[in-house]
Amino acid sequence: MAGMSSEQLAAFVRQIFPRLDQLSYYDLLGVPSGSDQAVVRTAFYRLAADLHPDRHHTLADRELKEQLEMIYARVCEGYQVLTKPDKRAAYERALNQGKKRLTTTDRDSRGLQNPEDSIKHPEAKKFFRLGMISLGRKDWKGAVMSFSFARTYEPSSALVAQKLSEAQAALGKPGGAGGAPPKTP
Amino acid sequence: MAVVGIDLGTTNSVVATVRDGQVVVVPNSQEGYLHPSVVSFSPDGLKYFSVDAVARRILDPKNTVYSAKRLIGLPFRSDEVQKALVRLPYELREGNNEQAVFIGPDRTYTIPEISGLLLGYLRQCAEMFLSDSVNAAVITVPANFNDSQRRATVDAGRIAGLDVLRVLNEPTAAALAYGLGQNMSQRIAVYDFGGGTFDVTILQVENDVFEVLATGGDTFLGGDDLDSALLSILADLFNAEHGIDPRNDQAARSRLLIAAEQVKRHLSDFPEARGDLKNIAVGSSGEPLALRFHIARTVFETAIRGLVGRTIQACQDVLASAQLAASQIDEVIMVGGTTRVPMVRAEVEKYFGRPPRTDLNPDEVVAWGAAIQAENLANAGESLPSRAVLLDVTPRALGIAVTGGFAERIIDRNVPVPVEQTRIFSTSADNQTSVRIQVCQGESRRFEENVPLGELELADLQAARRGAVSIEVTFKVDTNGILRVRARDGATGAVREAAVNVRGAMSDSEVEEAAERQKYREASNLPEVPQE
Ligand SMILES: Nc1ncnc2c1ncn2[C@@H]1O[C@H](COP(=O)(O)OP(=O)(O)OP(=O)(O)O)[C@@H](O)[C@H]1O
Ligand SMILES: [Mg+2]
Repeated sequence: MAGMSSEQLAAFVRQIFPRLDQLSYYDLLGVPSGSDQAVVRTAFYRLAADLHPDRHHTLADRELKEQLEMIYARVCEGYQVLTKPDKRAAYERALNQGKKRLTTTDRDSRGLQNPEDSIKHPEAKKFFRLGMISLGRKDWKGAVMSFSFARTYEPSSALVAQKLSEAQAALGKPGGAGGAPPKTP
Repeated sequence: MAVVGIDLGTTNSVVATVRDGQVVVVPNSQEGYLHPSVVSFSPDGLKYFSVDAVARRILDPKNTVYSAKRLIGLPFRSDEVQKALVRLPYELREGNNEQAVFIGPDRTYTIPEISGLLLGYLRQCAEMFLSDSVNAAVITVPANFNDSQRRATVDAGRIAGLDVLRVLNEPTAAALAYGLGQNMSQRIAVYDFGGGTFDVTILQVENDVFEVLATGGDTFLGGDDLDSALLSILADLFNAEHGIDPRNDQAARSRLLIAAEQVKRHLSDFPEARGDLKNIAVGSSGEPLALRFHIARTVFETAIRGLVGRTIQACQDVLASAQLAASQIDEVIMVGGTTRVPMVRAEVEKYFGRPPRTDLNPDEVVAWGAAIQAENLANAGESLPSRAVLLDVTPRALGIAVTGGFAERIIDRNVPVPVEQTRIFSTSADNQTSVRIQVCQGESRRFEENVPLGELELADLQAARRGAVSIEVTFKVDTNGILRVRARDGATGAVREAAVNVRGAMSDSEVEEAAERQKYREASNLPEVPQE
């Protein structure tokens, strides 16, 4: 059975990890570009046998372990891309543009949801916004007040209720009142 | 100190360990190896476990919890829990954070607590049998368990005071137990038809490397459904004879259901079943009503043909997603008690064109694999002849909600784990200073057609025009199949992580409290296993 000693493993990680983003999937898997699926798979299996996190469960060095896991995740990604024809074609194009990794870096055309979209009443929305601004300034008192107003306009909103209790909890904590420094007796 | 593998099943659980290079299965208190996954409570807080709790499903159905695995890690209002509710005689309600909680005689219990009690019992059984302390385990889950179900299983383990070394997929464990692929390359199908779930998994096995190519199935299809089919037959017979539908009477229904399960097993070995069930219900003048029945296997087979057909359909789907034909499979492994049904074996053989492997006990084989993996992890597999590497994949695609009701995929289905992917999104409104990131699982482009898993919020964004702020969302799935989500404010460059609030999950502090309580209870020497 193949297998690395812990010294070999540490040396391997130290060598690969800093350069991870400069290595192509081919480099990482140690196969010539254009290798067919069977070659890629054999290479991946060999690497997996040495690098899989389960192999190193008892490893004490946490940093080494984490870096190893990141390397291994990238190896998996390379295997996945190089063995799926459509992904591989996309990767070849990316490589030509000098990219080493196949990622969707183009910003998605659709935006993320605005939490306040779930609030319907315009007044509730207004006070909710004010409350959020207060929260950002750690003005817990102001936040509690604004969220309470928002709640009177839209009592059914789970979001308002949640934010109100967050603000109340912050206010209730020692030193929470208006962000004043805790008093020493 | 020993480590164990635990197959925490819907119906039965099995605990095993590796000793001197051999797998040993921990027996139950009645000469068997299956520990029924049942916990029963009595008003004074005393609990009955497993074999001692089974009879209480009839005696005290309201306080006897079984099939907890059908509920674990699912929000109370999920379809699955609502569907299970109809069948379960014990009471559940919605607790903190959308969890389903059991209403016990003394207090309410979360589902991970129930499973935690069971795991604690299993741990004690193992400790007694091995004369050694046990504090770490590999616990298996169905391959199609999602992120929250896996987390909840880990929580259950923690409550039982176990260090959960790994959450392992059941089919992968089964393949490991068969020790296939040594010095050769094979494609294997694992067909697992248990008590509550069905799944089918295709693996490539080569020189100790087990790669999952595809996995699929139905989390709501199992031997229980076969029992229900048989219950219908028995209830119709009873109704025809007495003019009373026993399905409308909770106690009568429970009795018939238990009879149905026994009849089902009998029909696995014999072409017909006859019997006389006494005291099923009470007649109008208080007289006990009995049922005499005679059911041919063929009648049963007609009733379950559709259910078995669904498993074959799932096999077809999974093979299609692995881009393989049934004839390209070298071995088919049978797992789960329901694969003892002759018709199931016959249909599987017909579909794959080869007789399936049944040489290892189908209800123990998963625990065998879990024990082997536990040994691999904890003791670096020193006492084992070979050390397998298990390469699992994501069971479902994972994504987030974007405006317009759409879901944007971040991680595909069936990709090897661990995996980490980042995508960049933006705000949808002018001066939007926080974003809500709703996480879902599923392949649909429409958000609401997927299963919502939880959400996180990233606040304190710079106020700017819509679309001007970029937010990087990173999904990371580890080797346990557990998802971690990170959202980063691209504008300030500051890494801000936000934790996902997982729907239907216990909070960390709740888990710790429950673990403390259980530790205390075990230490205070309450009679855990009632002596009779
Ligand atoms: N001889 C038999 N014939 C038919 N069915 C059987 C037989 N023996 C056991 N079963 C059924 O097998 C099921 C239990 O199987 P098993 O113990 O593998 O399930 P489990 O692992 O608890 O469930 P799951 O895998 O869904 O979590 C029950 O429905 C039981 O009735
Ligand atoms: Mg099972």
